[in-house]
Amino acid sequence: MGTMRWIAGGIFLALLVLLPRELKPYGIFLMSNWVLFCVVAMGLNLTLGYAGQISIAQAGFLGVGAYTTAILTTRFGWDFWLTLPVATGLSFLLGLIVGFPALRVQHHYLAFVTLGFNILIYLVFRNEDWLTGGAFGIFDIPRPGFLGVDMRDPLSFYYLCLVFAALMFAAAWWIVRSPWGRAFAALRENPVRAASLGVDIRTYTLLAFAIGSAFAGLTGAFYASLLEFIDPYPFALEYSLSFLLMVISGGSATLIGPIVGAGMVLLLPEWLRFAKDYYLLIYALLVMVLMAFCPEGMVGLWRRMVAAIGRRRARAPTERPT
Amino acid sequence: MSKTRLGVALAAAVGLWSAVAGAQDTVKFASIIELSGNGAAIGTNWRDAVDMAVEEINAAGGILGKKIEIEHLDTQSNPGTSRAVLQKALDGDPYVVLGPIFSSSTRVNMALTERAGVPQIVGSEAASITQQGHPTIFRTSFGQEMGMPKLVNYLKNEIKAKKVALIWTNDEWGKGGRNTAKDLMAKAGIEVVADVSTEVQQVDFSAEVLKVVKAGADAIFAYCLEEESARFLNELRKQGYNGPLVGETTLISQKVIDLAGANANGARGHVGLTIDAPVDLLQEFGRKFEARTGRKSDHNGIKGYIAVYLAKEATERMGKFDRDGFAKALRGAVVTTKDEPGVLMDLRIDETGDVDRESFLVEVVDGKQQVVKVLPPVGDWKK
Repeated sequence: MGTMRWIAGGIFLALLVLLPRELKPYGIFLMSNWVLFCVVAMGLNLTLGYAGQISIAQAGFLGVGAYTTAILTTRFGWDFWLTLPVATGLSFLLGLIVGFPALRVQHHYLAFVTLGFNILIYLVFRNEDWLTGGAFGIFDIPRPGFLGVDMRDPLSFYYLCLVFAALMFAAAWWIVRSPWGRAFAALRENPVRAASLGVDIRTYTLLAFAIGSAFAGLTGAFYASLLEFIDPYPFALEYSLSFLLMVISGGSATLIGPIVGAGMVLLLPEWLRFAKDYYLLIYALLVMVLMAFCPEGMVGLWRRMVAAIGRRRARAPTERPT
Repeated sequence: MSKTRLGVALAAAVGLWSAVAGAQDTVKFASIIELSGNGAAIGTNWRDAVDMAVEEINAAGGILGKKIEIEHLDTQSNPGTSRAVLQKALDGDPYVVLGPIFSSSTRVNMALTERAGVPQIVGSEAASITQQGHPTIFRTSFGQEMGMPKLVNYLKNEIKAKKVALIWTNDEWGKGGRNTAKDLMAKAGIEVVADVSTEVQQVDFSAEVLKVVKAGADAIFAYCLEEESARFLNELRKQGYNGPLVGETTLISQKVIDLAGANANGARGHVGLTIDAPVDLLQEFGRKFEARTGRKSDHNGIKGYIAVYLAKEATERMGKFDRDGFAKALRGAVVTTKDEPGVLMDLRIDETGDVDRESFLVEVVDGKQQVVKVLPPVGDWKK
């Protein structure tokens, strides 16, 4: 099974590298957007899926990173790469602050706290014209330079996003398998028992928020560069709900889940456009059916199918006529 | 077997030839428009009017003998999606792009048409759109910099307002309009006694209405999106306000009248395009649109209709399909209804792509727009 996973992973990576070469700019733009949103969903998956702390503010953290890079590059002439630590650090810090209420409240109460934070951050983006450009947004955000490659070329920028996403996937993989990941899981399953075993609940709750937020903030820098323009709307509450849907529909607490979920939320409506006026209706119905019949998401559905096949194979010899 | 293969090969060759020939007989237009989300109501009017214009042109033989092939792509009223779908449209190599209407979407995606060198005829009204130096962008309606001066003159000279309460939608379009109007009012000596922002898709207007009603203004100026304008009007009448109420384009639009019913009565303002204007071609368009769709067109439908005919006129002036020559053919040009009846009113396009023509002061009476006065164009090109 382990070998099969490596082979499947290799094929998937090869597809990610080769497929965009055959696509037109629209397809490449969608793929770039998808790989970036995978990272945002991975961050939320660490907070929600692994540590069990619900957050409806992921789009807000994405916005913090995006605006940080946009402001520093367009107003102060900073190099894109120098803005990355600032974007990451700022979103990490804000994640820590948002994490504090999680020490007092849980579940839907916590959801409302984070929801309030997202609305607050959106209002800052929209109303503080002197800093963010308000409703008019920020234009002409530069693409980063990298080893002399022209990143205005959609394919080159896609490969940069892909490398970034791969590194972030490796980071998430490492976190999940590290003592931090095990502490997150303990926090999710039974905080009292985790505390009795010596897990510092306070630190790990705050870290779960801060790391998840930093994933979004760092991605925000690339997202601003991809669009070359930002305004407050992609960072509103409804987009945080979309990120939540990515994690849940893909399969929370799995590394692959956010990737599948981001594909489902971002790419599926585009594939369904052939249905013209009905494409969003069909999309909504598909999501409802998935959530009703398989609340563990697409990865859960896949696991169920594999288990069913396994059971059938195990039963098969006894069913043969003798 | 070989005969079958030969037959298949021949059929494929004929099919390929007819596909190529078909492609040569058509010209591709892409419409990037709000068909879902909070812009769906206005985008649907645009789409239906564009389809109507395309059918008329195709029925009359097309443009320079080529039939128009139109594809509508839904922006979901989302600037990011509008950029993605415009890229999709550009991948299909369209001759011209029509739309979108939301200014925030146009601001995000117009860089793509500029890079691709494809003409874009938008329904957006934010002043900033034609101030970016985009060489091939055009409007079919007034930008705020054209419409607002007429409205402020009306407030000063007709209503004699010295104090005005402003209520506006806090997005790029609303804020742009509010800024333009506020500057013009300051120059005209009109004091802004309340400056109230509202949200896109806001439902409850009670607190905002209370603020503008209690501000002690001589008139209220409302600059909200269509659905929000209707909700604002309902709350305004609920709170018993019957003083002067003016708006620019949206407040007195057909969509708002349909949604607000009798509560829209008494609203006044400036509108660039209306099917109730005393212009035969506009009224005829209104009748055709209603017969086709079963509803009245607002100004967005008229914008979409004119956009298709403007592209036709530019092409016929050049005598060829030439994206590079498109801007040269239209910028600085006067297009009269004698040249092309589909533009519905004589108009002039300036060097930035802004449009100038007559416009109307209207009042809503018994659920209908009633034109009070016809205002001349800003420029003196009609003379």
